[in-house]
Amino acid sequence: MATQQKEVRDLQEGGYVMIDEAACKINAYSTAKPGKHGSAKARIEAKGVFDEKKRSLSQPVDAKIRVPIIERKQGQVVSVSGDDMQVMDLESYETFTMRIPDGVDASPDDEIEFLEMEGQRKIV
Amino acid sequence: MFPGATDDRDGANFVIVGAPLDASTTFQPGARFGPRRIRHFATTFDDYDHRTGRYFTDCGVHDDGDVHVWDDVREYLEFLEGTVRDVVWDDATPLLLGGEHTVSLAGVRAVEPDVFVCLDAHLDLRDAYDGNPMNHACVTRRILEEPSVEAAIILGARTGSEEEWERANADDVTVVPPEDVSDWLADTDVESLLGGREAYLSVDIDGADPAYAPGTGTMEPFGLDSREMRAVVRAVTPHTTGFDVVEVNDRDDGQAASLGGKLVKEFVYQRAADT
Repeated sequence: MATQQKEVRDLQEGGYVMIDEAACKINAYSTAKPGKHGSAKARIEAKGVFDEKKRSLSQPVDAKIRVPIIERKQGQVVSVSGDDMQVMDLESYETFTMRIPDGVDASPDDEIEFLEMEGQRKIV
Repeated sequence: MFPGATDDRDGANFVIVGAPLDASTTFQPGARFGPRRIRHFATTFDDYDHRTGRYFTDCGVHDDGDVHVWDDVREYLEFLEGTVRDVVWDDATPLLLGGEHTVSLAGVRAVEPDVFVCLDAHLDLRDAYDGNPMNHACVTRRILEEPSVEAAIILGARTGSEEEWERANADDVTVVPPEDVSDWLADTDVESLLGGREAYLSVDIDGADPAYAPGTGTMEPFGLDSREMRAVVRAVTPHTTGFDVVEVNDRDDGQAASLGGKLVKEFVYQRAADT
């Protein structure tokens, strides 16, 4: 999985982080002061980008952590068949088929924004 | 470590979290020593509970230590809330050791109960105390403002300002004075009262008469005795998803901490017996 290394202190709400081998979006980040002993700790609450599962972690702020490389891309719906749609990446012109997420009304020529990471895609 | 809380964090049924906050104590300070005192004075208690036939060391209790306190109370409560939420997400029951009563707000935010039940000498329904809405004298009021909380039941309350008693008259607050708690327990089917709703149970040790628990910040005479406190804990425990003991300080010979620690064990034994 394409990741880069960061320190926990560099993470922020709205960013991404790997927790339990899953790419997650951070929705809460809080830090505890170290006091005279121990090191400052950060606690992160995040939600799986592709599986929606809530996860959390608590680590010293100077710990190293993996951050997923997620690309935000533009696409265009080429065709719709049943629950699937064919989408063209507007940058690479590559076409691929993806499941239409619940609550999304897709029709040909619609422009969509999606997140892509190692072949996994999710509509924003 | 709390004696007998020997389980690993993974898979524990109960997780003890110390929250030694001592920022807004209005009279005698020392609540910062509460978690330490409670653990210390629990060392004399037997592992085996004759009533339930349970061993504490078999109940799956882990002591996660204390969440170090710093002077930004809101920020501290946010971090503490997250620590307690981790416990909830791991399908364990948090057992919070205070610390001043304000820490219950973090516990409630993490657990998201429907009803807040507390043993307390004070109503703690002030909107602010000396201009501070996060003072420990306001904690029940703050908790009632939480979206999940529909009602508060305050057992053993015997004092409050006029404004607090007015707030206590509202439909979402039930106050049972100390002299009525035994009858209330005898006449109330807690299960029907809660009607399937989940409770968070907070034991402010000053709910007890100062004769039983002098080591607390704001003593208030004419309180509950320790067996009445125990009866409440036993009755409410089966419906409880989060528990705390707060306001224990170090200004006695261990009476308050001993009672607090024993009530923690009562809660665990009762829960273990119910499952």
